[in-house]
Amino acid sequence: MTDGRKAPWRISQAEAVQMDILPGWYATRGRRRLLAATGAFSLGLAWAMAGVVWVAGPDEGARWIVLTLLAVMLVIYLPAVTLMNVATRGMTALTERNLDERQVGERLRATAVAHRLMTRLLAALACLTLVVGLLRGREHMVPGSTLLYLSLAVALTHFVLPLIVSCWRMPDPPPDDEDEDERSSSAGGGAAGAPGIGA
Amino acid sequence: MSSEEVHNRIPMLRAERGVSRKELATALGVHYQTIGYLERGEYSPSLYLALRIAEYFEVPMEVVFSLKPFPRLGSEPK
Repeated sequence: MTDGRKAPWRISQAEAVQMDILPGWYATRGRRRLLAATGAFSLGLAWAMAGVVWVAGPDEGARWIVLTLLAVMLVIYLPAVTLMNVATRGMTALTERNLDERQVGERLRATAVAHRLMTRLLAALACLTLVVGLLRGREHMVPGSTLLYLSLAVALTHFVLPLIVSCWRMPDPPPDDEDEDERSSSAGGGAAGAPGIGA
Repeated sequence: MSSEEVHNRIPMLRAERGVSRKELATALGVHYQTIGYLERGEYSPSLYLALRIAEYFEVPMEVVFSLKPFPRLGSEPK
């Protein structure tokens, strides 16, 4: 896809994340953290799917468990990711040109934290594979279907972890201008008669 | 981070000039929440953004930003 074709999508994406969709769900830090935890839980379900496929193998019962987990994961994942993107105002989704210097800095910090977490996760996965290999002997092979689901879980985690981290870290945004204006007007109409600063 | 805190007079200048947070953000090309974080001292701007803020209000930079807290109105010696 060329840059020109992507432009309308980027514009609509930038506009969409500025809309207050269900603001009550991410209004406070506690709720944003709950949202981030929900997103992490949906990722956990993706890892659980890989685990079920690995342990149970190509079994009819396991297939239904995996399909159920996939359905539950999607039902949780899609709204959680959408709301996290709105809560962070697209900090990890938008291109750099749509962000200001504070947002770019926050995104870099979130990406750095997510990178550290992902490294630990991959190290844990490598250790687990090694231990299972040692316990089951050299003949043990990880089935292809397990690898597929593991790849899906790793890719999804790699994709969403920066968003989860930025949603978790985000401080409470400042109150809207309207609230501030009401406060200043009720306090006597501001400093219109005061001597100008620097004048 | 507290030792690197930069104090500013953006809320005062904004109130004095009757400029809303969104208007200032649009003029500076930043998100309106960034102005709020700046005002609350939760974000220290880059030199470029600090210069642009001073330029917008047409005041020297030291009028807007300081490493020490600005004296409260009425607390200055007569």
